[in-house]
Amino acid sequence: MDLNSLYTSFNYIAPEITIAVALIMIVIFDLIFDKNKKIIPYIAYLGIFSALFFVAANFNLTGTNYKVSSLNESMGMISTDTFGSFFKILILVSSALIIFFSKTSEEIKKTFERAGEYYALIFGMILGMMFMVTASDLILIYLSVELLSLSSYVLAGFTKLRDRNAEASLKYLIYGAVASGLMLFGISLVYGMVGSTNLAALNNYLQLPLANVLTFTAAAVLIFAGIGYKISAAPFHFWTPDVYEGAPISITAYLSVASKAAGFALLIRLIRIGFVRFIDGDGNWHISGIFDWQSFIIIISILTMTLGNFSALWQNNLKRMLAYSSIAHAGYILLGVAVLSNHGLMAVMVYFFIYMIMNIGAFFVVMLIADKTGSEDIDDYNGMGYRTPLLGVALTVFLISLTGLPPTGGFIAKLYLFIALVDANLIFVAVIALLNSVVSLYYYVRVLKHMYLTRSDKDDLLFEISLSNKFFVTGLAALILLLGIYFTPLLDLVKNVSFFTL
Amino acid sequence: MNVYDIIFYLFAAITLASGFLVVTVKNIVHSAFYLLFTLFGIAGIYVLLGADFIAIVQLLVYVGGILILLLFGVMLTNKITDVDIKTGTLHIVPAVIGVGIFWGAITSILTSTHWKSLPAENIEPTTAQIGTLLITDYVLVFELLGILLLIALIGAATIARRDKE
Repeated sequence: MDLNSLYTSFNYIAPEITIAVALIMIVIFDLIFDKNKKIIPYIAYLGIFSALFFVAANFNLTGTNYKVSSLNESMGMISTDTFGSFFKILILVSSALIIFFSKTSEEIKKTFERAGEYYALIFGMILGMMFMVTASDLILIYLSVELLSLSSYVLAGFTKLRDRNAEASLKYLIYGAVASGLMLFGISLVYGMVGSTNLAALNNYLQLPLANVLTFTAAAVLIFAGIGYKISAAPFHFWTPDVYEGAPISITAYLSVASKAAGFALLIRLIRIGFVRFIDGDGNWHISGIFDWQSFIIIISILTMTLGNFSALWQNNLKRMLAYSSIAHAGYILLGVAVLSNHGLMAVMVYFFIYMIMNIGAFFVVMLIADKTGSEDIDDYNGMGYRTPLLGVALTVFLISLTGLPPTGGFIAKLYLFIALVDANLIFVAVIALLNSVVSLYYYVRVLKHMYLTRSDKDDLLFEISLSNKFFVTGLAALILLLGIYFTPLLDLVKNVSFFTL
Repeated sequence: MNVYDIIFYLFAAITLASGFLVVTVKNIVHSAFYLLFTLFGIAGIYVLLGADFIAIVQLLVYVGGILILLLFGVMLTNKITDVDIKTGTLHIVPAVIGVGIFWGAITSILTSTHWKSLPAENIEPTTAQIGTLLITDYVLVFELLGILLLIALIGAATIARRDKE
């Protein structure tokens, strides 16, 4: 690669460069303003919004960059396309929400003298995720996954207020090390056969019937293990409940939304660039016969959603319950991937957009209540609907949306998913997903029962929330209701972004 | 069987035998010392493959750095040197089945796959080529690695720091 193409490549990674610069700015400002850390969250906002600006400005930019000279002209380290831009926007928006979240959270306020490290690590996560959604080379994929993981291991145990924090961090680290080891082994198998780490080179290799089925199956399953760990798909989900319960709640929300989004984007790009032979006129992806991604993902997703939903039934800690619920949602979204068509892809993107809002909203309400009562236990939610009407109503909206009932955005998300499944003749799978939604209704509504029907002796203890938090919660809840009724703009957006650079 | 083969089998034997001892001896310090031979054996195999740079890095980083850190960690941690690690065997039947399946899969993968290979050429030094690649084709990966190390440093400092009560 010559200097000229290096120079033109900069434009394609402008958002990532912005994030990296913001990361370094945070570290420097943390050193200069030793006593006053108030400025750091604003640098974080500035970094995220500038990166958002660059993503939006380059939204329609397509092409592969950072080409490897020994390979074909069209193969590079990163692929810039609208699909990637959509997920980058999703990641950046959820990061901005999480920074607001962190500024409010009591847990993070207690450790505010370490704010510099906190935000630097968050930016490490963002950078890792941005490269995950855009990388088309297995080396870069592995490195970005590691960057995301390393930052999140530390953040999971960041507050050090309780023993649970350390437990969360350690569990996350050990499971993560195993998963990344498995992924690396899978990558080495692919490299051993293809002779290149590039996904497009992998695709070229698979066009010829050279590959050994057994070896390739092993490699695909091992690489999926690394990604499945990130998106907490069964059987790689064991870390999820403990880590989600022990981590600071802002990080829990972040892991459940942004880090999953990046994992899914990576999985979709891996299949789309690495394994798809051709796309027919109806937008169905025809996969190389070497590995049956569809059956594999369907089995994993049914396992994931069933395990997630049934384990959530008995949880009394709301953070833990939302952790299992996020496992179940990963199962639903995997079904959208399993359809392996442009329709399925659209369903996944709609689902993720709505899931981001409702999940962050639910965690935010749980955080506000936990800050006041010091507990996430479901019994402490007794009578909460009367003590704090606004939060009660907002949590109701979020939970109904997570269940997937109208008139909320969650209904639209599930609807499009099921339409995509039925279109692809996966009716049996759609029925299982539907039954799973019915199961999930029980544990979501159980919280509502505690909030409104069970009285507690503290009923008259109203509690105050600040104006900005009121706006934030109301805004998210209103958005969920709005998306349940008027969702055309979202669909139009998603229709235009399912484009890949190969 | 020429001299290279003999050297290869020598290094392979060192690696395997000391690797077996790492996981079976009961004293954690002995275990760490056996790890030294395992890592050294792997460095020898790298040399035989003509990967001179990786071999040196393996010696410098793993044998010279990580292992010394490990030993210091063991020695500085109170009383851990006297503790016998629990090396009892649990769930032997499922473990044997699992390992057997894994071994079978790995063996058949190794033998049945048509691996991509390059013709054996005269072995040349690779360091300069790696250096050139790192600042041309793989410059993005190289820069990202720098940020990864920065994050690792920040993270390690965060974990190690004791909070004021």
